[in-house]
Amino acid sequence: MGERVFMQGNEAMAESAIRAGCKLFFGYPITPSSEVPEYYAKVMRERPEENIMFIQGETETSVFNMIAGAVAAGHRAMTATSGPGFSLGQEAMSYMSAASLPAVIVEVMRPGPADGEILAAQGDYFQATRGGGHGDYNNLVLAPYSVQELCELMQESFDLAEKYHNPVVLLSDAMLAKLRESVELPGYVENEPKPEEKWRTLTGADGRDPHIITTCGRGAIQWERFNLDLQEKFRKIAENEVRYETYNLEDADIVLVAFGCFSRVCISAMKMAREEGMKVGMIRPISLWPFPEEAFRGLDGKKFLVCELNAGQMVQDVKLSVDNKNDVTFYGRLGGQVPTPKEILGEIRKLR
Amino acid sequence: MKLELLFSGIGGQGVMRLGEILCDAAIKAGYLVTFSPFYGQEKRGGRTMCNIVISDEMESPIISEAQVMLIFDERSLTEYEHLLDPAGTLILNSSMIEKEPTAPCAQIDKVPFYDLAQKIGNTKTANMIALGYVLKYLPAIDYGVVEEEVKKTFAAKAKLIPLNVEALHTGYTYRA
Repeated sequence: MGERVFMQGNEAMAESAIRAGCKLFFGYPITPSSEVPEYYAKVMRERPEENIMFIQGETETSVFNMIAGAVAAGHRAMTATSGPGFSLGQEAMSYMSAASLPAVIVEVMRPGPADGEILAAQGDYFQATRGGGHGDYNNLVLAPYSVQELCELMQESFDLAEKYHNPVVLLSDAMLAKLRESVELPGYVENEPKPEEKWRTLTGADGRDPHIITTCGRGAIQWERFNLDLQEKFRKIAENEVRYETYNLEDADIVLVAFGCFSRVCISAMKMAREEGMKVGMIRPISLWPFPEEAFRGLDGKKFLVCELNAGQMVQDVKLSVDNKNDVTFYGRLGGQVPTPKEILGEIRKLR
Repeated sequence: MKLELLFSGIGGQGVMRLGEILCDAAIKAGYLVTFSPFYGQEKRGGRTMCNIVISDEMESPIISEAQVMLIFDERSLTEYEHLLDPAGTLILNSSMIEKEPTAPCAQIDKVPFYDLAQKIGNTKTANMIALGYVLKYLPAIDYGVVEEEVKKTFAAKAKLIPLNVEALHTGYTYRA
């Protein structure tokens, strides 16, 4: 690990990506993600010995396709964007998942739909976890709750993308992006992609067969087989990459479910409820896809309060994970409004 | 220990900077600290507010009730006074605020930060005066450590250091 600093989420994350050997950043500035391209641009100038390259694309559409090209050539590459920009990248996301390209995308959520606002929100849960683009595919989606976890998952995202040859979406939001807190920056890691040489297109085809990266079907029989292979990739991710944390579940009557930085509001609310004598626990999904269904096993009879900064998206996955969906209630805010721990406490009291 | 603070003003008044310096000092005192800024899309003149949480364990970066609330302008008062802890302290910049607060609050201090800043010769130091004043209510944060942080903040413009240290001291010793 590296040094301990008091740093903003976006900037600490960008530094962690650089230290993970991601030297290529393609971006188009959009609040609340703009400090990330700014940071890369600054490092490109101030630390020339690190060979950082930042390119501002003309739109996010081109940015996402630049990433496709860079990772196909065996480089680590990423972007950071927000709602409208993430939407523009969806065609390429579908393509990269099908073409098994290890892209890393940071999506810093802000309130939509459309241009919306620049504050904190979690309304892009569906877009991130259901694929977002066309066809049967999944992104591996990780949602950190602190600047520390953001930095660690930022570095791990590259390993995971390369391990499964699939896009990884690191799901941040305006709250975490702008939050300043103490963080022990991760150190530099081996900066060459670890996976099979297979993906190094720039080494030429000397002594090996050409690598053909294509996503164009040749009839239904071939294309179904191609899709089944993809599904096998997603099955492996679902089997191996489920992540979550649980708090005070042993004696809990009420279980909060929340993800991302907003889950910390719920953690404080849980503590306040316990001080009042209510037995409250919490489940915090870290991988949103694959969703941690296993965390809900054996909790029959407890009440679940799903808290989100959207109109109720993860609540659907929670209902699919519990024995009785009537045990699940939802509390959400929209438009960039973030409830205080005390307001969540009020919602917990209603379930008593 | 868990301390929740809210500072708010107009963009350009230095409220965010004040908050960041306080955070640096609180970290030096060994606490976990979160600084959450909130601002609009305006480049200048918009509302700037921050939530600061100083605690022993990880907490919500969003506050429930401010034990200390520092308000630099009237609109901020209207917008955020409902977040006051009834047992807490409200510090009002009386150079710019005539309105009376309506939310219940144990202690209300009116301090003319801009008038005091003018007296020491530079209205831009109002935020450092406010920082000094806020410290009276934060015994866990050492004054000397904050002074060092102020010096560090102005390291690139060294000639401004004595003025800002004076401003910090002016606030710290002011009796409302």
